Amino acid sequence: MSNPYLPDIATIQRVKPETYDTTSFTLKFDDPGVWERFRFRPGQFVEISVFGAGEAPFCISSSAHGREDFDITVRRLGRVTQALHAMGEGAQVGVRGPLGNSFPLDEVAGKHVLFVGGGLGLAPLRPQILEVYRQRDKFQSITVLYGARTPDDLIYRDELEQWQNLEGMRCLLTVDVGGDGWTGNVGVVGSLLSEVKFDVGQAVVFVCGPPIMIRFVVRDLVAMGFGEDDIISTLERHMRCGIGKCNHCIHGDKYICLDGPVFTYRQMKAMMELEP
Amino acid sequence: MNAYFLPRDRVDELVGRLLRAAEVIAPKRVETGDVFYSPVSSPGEVAWDYKTAVEPLKRFLLPQQETVLRFSTGEKLRVEPVLEEKDRIFLAVRNCDVTGVNVLDAMFGGEIEDPYYMARRRRATFISLACLEADEQCFCVCGDAGPFLKNGYDQQWTPLAEGMLIEVGSDKGQALADAHQDLLSPAEPDQVAEKLQLAKRAEETFGEFRSYIAAAMRRLTLAETPDEVWERLADHCVECGGCTFLCPTCSCFTVTDRLEGDGGVRERHWDACLYNCYAREASGHNPRAEHSQRLRARFFHKLSHQWAQRNGRHACVGCGRCVVGCQAWAHMSAATEAIRRG
Repeated sequence: MSNPYLPDIATIQRVKPETYDTTSFTLKFDDPGVWERFRFRPGQFVEISVFGAGEAPFCISSSAHGREDFDITVRRLGRVTQALHAMGEGAQVGVRGPLGNSFPLDEVAGKHVLFVGGGLGLAPLRPQILEVYRQRDKFQSITVLYGARTPDDLIYRDELEQWQNLEGMRCLLTVDVGGDGWTGNVGVVGSLLSEVKFDVGQAVVFVCGPPIMIRFVVRDLVAMGFGEDDIISTLERHMRCGIGKCNHCIHGDKYICLDGPVFTYRQMKAMMELEP
Repeated sequence: MNAYFLPRDRVDELVGRLLRAAEVIAPKRVETGDVFYSPVSSPGEVAWDYKTAVEPLKRFLLPQQETVLRFSTGEKLRVEPVLEEKDRIFLAVRNCDVTGVNVLDAMFGGEIEDPYYMARRRRATFISLACLEADEQCFCVCGDAGPFLKNGYDQQWTPLAEGMLIEVGSDKGQALADAHQDLLSPAEPDQVAEKLQLAKRAEETFGEFRSYIAAAMRRLTLAETPDEVWERLADHCVECGGCTFLCPTCSCFTVTDRLEGDGGVRERHWDACLYNCYAREASGHNPRAEHSQRLRARFFHKLSHQWAQRNGRHACVGCGRCVVGCQAWAHMSAATEAIRRG
């Protein structure tokens, strides 16, 4: 019997600071055979072990295509993330996954695709953005709206610059509070929604960010006419086991780890009715 | 399924054989007079005349603390699972507790199995002892878990005047009967009739505690319980978590690492959804910061149709341990009453 609690060992290939408190780590399995089984889909997450400090869940933040390693983007906050931030290239961690469901892709073909990210919420959206862009012929248009508290809180700075100049993708940035050298938009990410000109009846939107941002953005999206099944988000909870056994991530009648982390707004509303 | 009769003077002989075949966990009286399910080493240690055990069977399948992995952090990281496997026979345990194990089976089995729980579960045999008289805190009739069961056990024993009626409920239970055929005879119709009589009489012995599970299930399922109900319960509850630890079906756990030498162990521990820190995230965000939210989540998980559907039944077996353990008035009986009244 395979043991779903037994992590595979991976080595940190690359450490890339994103902001003052957030860093991306590229991980590769020591046993190359693991990758064949691992192959993840955008939206899925992993449980990362820093042995001695513990285990914590992280979404996969890299492309699901054309690589044999993957990234996680980690804010330094708790015991595990502090230990992870103290690790460098060559250090070993444990990985369990991929876990959870994933973003729909084929199901939303033919639509305008909108992404709305706030802060670190861009991390789980990134694999989906990259996959949608890779298959851009299947979609009517691709728009990425991304906001953070300050310019220093924007993650994937180099890539954002690239996205802003890409043909076939529209990428708009904003910050809540500007500063010296910031010439871009100032305001919450929801303020960028006025830039959306396509027919929302033929669109799907992927939203991720802090709970308060999701709440306001979703309210705006509903007002714009987005359908409840066309607003898709990914939720986070304190997922201990990742396989629906420890019960920590239960919300209403769902396990975030097993039934999610990706949910439609219709599903989220039903969960909120059971457990406001 | 088959039924057998074990004459009174052969009970100890059969128990002796079980003791030679496996570890036997049975009700055992301690100095204070309390009864705990414990390993026994001789037939004389089994407290056949007990009513209820202080704790359910959960800790034998899901220990309060267990090592799941061992790791060494030397030159090269090595991680190994730690699995415990041994044959165990649970003898003369109560039907509510056997039902509790069946609920745990649904939670830890399924598409993704918990290997630690299942390793113990697969090698466990459950011989229940039907209750002839309810204890004062009992309400298993409300929980659909006793005092007599129709299935769910490997064997169900009923103490008749002249010996034990043994009903078989599974292949495992049949194999056990087959192995000791020399001590058994097929049950006679009047022995089965005697059992039915005892079962009927047992149902008349329940005390004041009951649980309005149907009413609670409907209201929880449809989210019809007013917030005031949870706020009132929160006023009573002292968040000790005792009900969750005593509950046969509460199985939340948390996981921690502990360093040891040049490596360490990963352990899991029982946790309680009533604790403030239970769902709190590293950012400080707590989706259930309010005590009343945690109570609502607990009873929703226990009794809603949504979770009953997932686990095959609701998760209260009516053992009454939360009634005994609760320092306030926030146990299952009190909560379902409060939900019913709204």
